[in-house]
Amino acid sequence: MITPEKPELAEIISISQDTADTKTFEVKFVDKSVGKKFKFRPGQFMMISVFGFGEVPISISSSPYKTNSIKFTIVNVGNVTNALHQLKKGAKIGLRGAFGTGFPLQKFRKKNILFVSGGCGLAPLRSAIYAVQEKKSEFGKISVLFGCKTPENVLFDKDMKQWQKEKFQVLSTVDNPNKNWKGNTGVVTGLFKHLTFPPETTIVMMCGPSIMIHFSLIELRKKGFKDEQMFASLERLMQCGVGYCSHCNIGNKYTCINGPVFTAKDLEKLPMKEN
Amino acid sequence: MNYLLKKENLPKFLELLKKKFDQVIVPVKNETGATCFQPYSGQEIFLEARTDFSAKEFFRPAKEKTFSFKKKNSSYEIKPEYDTAKKVLFGVRPCGTHALNTLDELFIKFFGEDQFYSNKRKNTTIIAFQCNKACENGFCASMGTSKAIGHDLLFIERGNDFFVRAETEKGTSLLDSALFKHTSDSEYSSKINCENELDTEDIEENLFSNFNHSVWKEESERCLSCTSCTQSCPTCYCYTSNDEFVFGSDNESERFRVLDSCQLQRFTKVAGNHLFRPSREGRLRQFVLHKFSYYKKHHCIHLCVGCGRCITACPVKISLVDIANKIQKHSLEESK
Repeated sequence: MITPEKPELAEIISISQDTADTKTFEVKFVDKSVGKKFKFRPGQFMMISVFGFGEVPISISSSPYKTNSIKFTIVNVGNVTNALHQLKKGAKIGLRGAFGTGFPLQKFRKKNILFVSGGCGLAPLRSAIYAVQEKKSEFGKISVLFGCKTPENVLFDKDMKQWQKEKFQVLSTVDNPNKNWKGNTGVVTGLFKHLTFPPETTIVMMCGPSIMIHFSLIELRKKGFKDEQMFASLERLMQCGVGYCSHCNIGNKYTCINGPVFTAKDLEKLPMKEN
Repeated sequence: MNYLLKKENLPKFLELLKKKFDQVIVPVKNETGATCFQPYSGQEIFLEARTDFSAKEFFRPAKEKTFSFKKKNSSYEIKPEYDTAKKVLFGVRPCGTHALNTLDELFIKFFGEDQFYSNKRKNTTIIAFQCNKACENGFCASMGTSKAIGHDLLFIERGNDFFVRAETEKGTSLLDSALFKHTSDSEYSSKINCENELDTEDIEENLFSNFNHSVWKEESERCLSCTSCTQSCPTCYCYTSNDEFVFGSDNESERFRVLDSCQLQRFTKVAGNHLFRPSREGRLRQFVLHKFSYYKKHHCIHLCVGCGRCITACPVKISLVDIANKIQKHSLEESK
């Protein structure tokens, strides 16, 4: 009997503290045969169980080419993520998935790629950035734009340095700078003026708060980006991941099975501002 | 094959069923005066009209255990909890059988079987009860749900008898009793004249394209977000998944599916307390559009069977039929 809602046991094999409220958990399936078969696309999410506390949908933040272990970058915001943050290396959690569509990277070959992220929205994008990095010769120029609240919230410092070494354009901006901040200030759309490559041959992948996606789409359209070139990953609190619970319903789409990655063209047809 | 059962022999028949099934579920009036489905233990059977509460409780219960987790040597034992009790459900109205048929589309045919639902469904024998008159606020005639579907036996009131028709082998096997007399009569009518009428032509497109119609705001202004509509609805299935520790234990916990309601603000809450449908207008629209537009797009069937329970249950008399008809009328005028 197959039940899409049955969690598979996994072990936390390492934990890194990214910022004050954010940790990256590296996990491995306990059943090796499950681990061997496991595959995912960047942008897909998994349902993580902390037994006794509940389940949360979390995007995978590690490379799709390294599925020996899976990484999740998680902000401590609710009851389940708080319980997760208390766990130590060696603890067992439950995993289901991967769910959703993910970014169709195979369609982006030979294109320039622009990543636009806000806050922990960089986590799902990191998986796609790793994938592009792995097959660098297949893509054009790469640009990673990142915005967050304060310099203390900046994620994946090491990765950013590595991406710069790879000759990616990496720009970050914060809403509230401190004395030591030498980077940009303001919202992420403010970084668009630094873009060097032409819209016609570029694909945009974005993830962040809905307000960021909303304004990024507006600004990028002004720059000449077409809706079918822009992909956004949306946030909803899925309870099932398989289209049963309806929590992630937007118009006639379910974010869990039809998304979470949508093209701007799809989004145009959806009631994004439901009030 | 068709049979007759004397009305006075119904309790005897139900007693016979009790010997064959783990549970016999019947429509009754409960201690609060509300009509609903309950396990049979000799109570008076309520057959005058459709029940206030549907039989949803026996397929998508308000709270349903799905898994139990037991911590053992720093690992966990994960056990799914399937309800495999053999049940028979007596007295389901045609709209109730259509409600199950509608839910089958999602929980059995769409993604693959949801074992928590399909086990209950497969192990439940359905005895439908044909209506002979329209019920309060019902609009089954408009939804095409006045005739039962997918049932095993059909009961129809006829004078002092029930006319009984077996539709499946499972149904026929319940009639091996002297209580049932064979009859050559095969006629029955399922035509119901509902006062409430809904124009369903192109409804999924028309409602969606009138997303910003003023009727949503007007009607939702008096909404109390009490969730009576979604609770009384035989097809409202949206749920939340909750974990609970077994009381007094630190190594045993259980997972539950708890029916949720799109009429509550927290339904769309995500991290950082962001709400995607903060207003009553948005939530009422979600309810009506899920019924008549969204579900149809995915499953080719409306998520509404026209029972009218949501209209009856609403304390401020918001009617999805009135809302939909207003928009249908508006669309018709626009297309002229």
